[in-house]
Amino acid sequence: MTATSVPLRPVRRWIHRRQVSHRERGATLGNVYFAVLFAAVVGGMVHQQLAAVFWPGHPNLGAAPALALALVAAALLVLALRRFGPVTLSRPASSFLLTAPVSRRRLLLPSLWLAAIGAAIPAALATVALLGHAAPRDLPAASLAVTVAGAGMVGMGLLLLAAAGQRGPRWAAVTDRLASLAVAAGLAALVALTAGWDPPVPSAWPPVPSLVTAVGAVTAVVAGAFLLTVRSLARTPNDRILESAKTAGTLFDAAFGMEPSFVTDMIERRYWAHRRLTSARPPAWLPVLTGQDLMLALRRRSRLLWLAGTTTLPLLLRSAPSWVTALAVLLGAMIAGTTSTGNIRTDSGNPVLSRMLGITSRQALIQRAAVPAVLATLWATTALVLLQIAGDLPPGQWWILGFPVGLAGATAAVRKARVGFVRNDMLPLDTPMGTMSTGPLANAIAGPDALVLGVPLVFALGAGSALSPDLVLIQAALALIGARGYLVWTTDTDRVELTTR
Amino acid sequence: MVDHPAVQVTDLFVSYGATPVLAGATLTVPAGTGVCVTGENGIGKSTLLRCVSSLQKPDSGEIRVLGATPGDSPEFWRAVVTTVEPPTWYPGLTTREHAELVCRAHGQDPDEAGIDEALERFGLSTHADAIPPSLSSGQKQRLTLVMALVRPSSLLILDEPEQRLDPDGRAAVAEMLADYVATGGSLLMASHDDKFAVASGAELTTMESLHP
Repeated sequence: MTATSVPLRPVRRWIHRRQVSHRERGATLGNVYFAVLFAAVVGGMVHQQLAAVFWPGHPNLGAAPALALALVAAALLVLALRRFGPVTLSRPASSFLLTAPVSRRRLLLPSLWLAAIGAAIPAALATVALLGHAAPRDLPAASLAVTVAGAGMVGMGLLLLAAAGQRGPRWAAVTDRLASLAVAAGLAALVALTAGWDPPVPSAWPPVPSLVTAVGAVTAVVAGAFLLTVRSLARTPNDRILESAKTAGTLFDAAFGMEPSFVTDMIERRYWAHRRLTSARPPAWLPVLTGQDLMLALRRRSRLLWLAGTTTLPLLLRSAPSWVTALAVLLGAMIAGTTSTGNIRTDSGNPVLSRMLGITSRQALIQRAAVPAVLATLWATTALVLLQIAGDLPPGQWWILGFPVGLAGATAAVRKARVGFVRNDMLPLDTPMGTMSTGPLANAIAGPDALVLGVPLVFALGAGSALSPDLVLIQAALALIGARGYLVWTTDTDRVELTTR
Repeated sequence: MVDHPAVQVTDLFVSYGATPVLAGATLTVPAGTGVCVTGENGIGKSTLLRCVSSLQKPDSGEIRVLGATPGDSPEFWRAVVTTVEPPTWYPGLTTREHAELVCRAHGQDPDEAGIDEALERFGLSTHADAIPPSLSSGQKQRLTLVMALVRPSSLLILDEPEQRLDPDGRAAVAEMLADYVATGGSLLMASHDDKFAVASGAELTTMESLHP
């Protein structure tokens, strides 16, 4: 049997011509025009504020924290590229062209280039942001430019690492693990630096010739690796390309339909598809739905470990106003609760299993809210204890507020899980810059809005006053009454489904 | 013995836009018996089952299920099981755990509810530790039926339960449904397979015969 290879370029040109004939003439140009106009108007309005945020008058970040942040950013970039593919195709191309007798290398090469540019730009932008806070103001422009260019090359190098992971599962596991470790190490270093750790770092910025040599070496290595990647590009397994094509399609759907739940569902599905499970039984004394939630939470121990690690993050905000720290604790409690609200999301989206279980919506919500409440309370209590030990809080045993703050966070997490799909039928808002859809906005606010139950903590920390029994009482009463009110208003003892029909 | 029928539908009208699907449908399923409605695609079988399950509001007519108006009350869903709509499986929960969860929610001891036997009869025992999304469509259908059959109920409302099942699977499901009816349960289903319906202990009724 002989394999016939069809030239790819005419096929792509034919597809492009057919697609263009279906599109409105000038629609793409119109979109570009709108995007440029939007960026120009917003940039014109807030450029001074943006400059103050990204390039303050004096550097306010030391070399060590900047390096730690760079490590975290690089590791997050690798993880994002790994999740995205990075070599991918559109869904139609993955269905029709991947199985066609065309050169696989040529089919995948545009995607590799696009991903390389897509990795270099955020790496360069992140470096600009870090330099804006850490670089001495008397640094020559050439030095800054070479550093940013070097960062772009490093971004491309990280893309090649991720692409190698796409071709081999072992390398993928190593890359993922190293990137996760780098994120953890970077965050731990940031916390340690905030707590007073003073590691030795070079005091002077490297001279331009040294920088040029280093960036040149990085460029040579990346260029060589790029060529090797292109040579082995055709060996990228089909299942990986199909998976990344689905990811790209889901991201497009989520962006086009403004429906972030598509992405969360996809991530959740993929996570469990790769796990090998053994059937277990939760303790019989636990309410049935709480037992199920607990079992699932314990199945994701690495997530719980990450959650435990994130209790240190409010410490990074010690230079920010105290009310920002309070908001971070509340948001953190909500995120901690969100780690165990997947089943509420399932029941709210499709009540078939709720009907099969036959439990009243009120009982179901009480049972389902238990694990999120415990997680949020533990998170908030630990975060407050750490802030207290670091001396960032006014006098008093603030950890006592862990329970009410956790309750507020859990209420917000549960409300967020029940919000469902974005409602695109809501009335749009006319603004001077165009029409704004209110559905996604309402969807984004539903959930975090319940954090209003933690307002006493925000005011008390903002005022810097010592913890008083009155504050504990007010905060506890507000959280309890709010959570109970939410439960009573949104559920019924005479209804099974979590959402009213 | 209860003195009211399991399902009593009187003069039911449902239309989609200007197209009438059910025009005065009348049906009775006596308690402890099985009825299978048959008919071609689009004739209104699923619509009828959805109305009886309270998942669709009819334009007019009266429906009584176990002597009461169907609704979303816990009492209704503790007595009635339906597979009219496909479930969204709980993420991270195995096949066996789904069945055990349903049993525990109904106060049953998972060891005594016959889960092992049901999984074995439906050919799912080797997939007990798999998550449902990884199963084939036929296996998912079997799991839905296992969950419907292991929990206590008074009425089963099944929409084409033989769908996507191989011949062995159909025989196993029919046998379990016949057991269900023989032990006092009531069954209302729609099917395209007369042989399967008869083996399930259900009396055949055409959709045309429901319209006097």
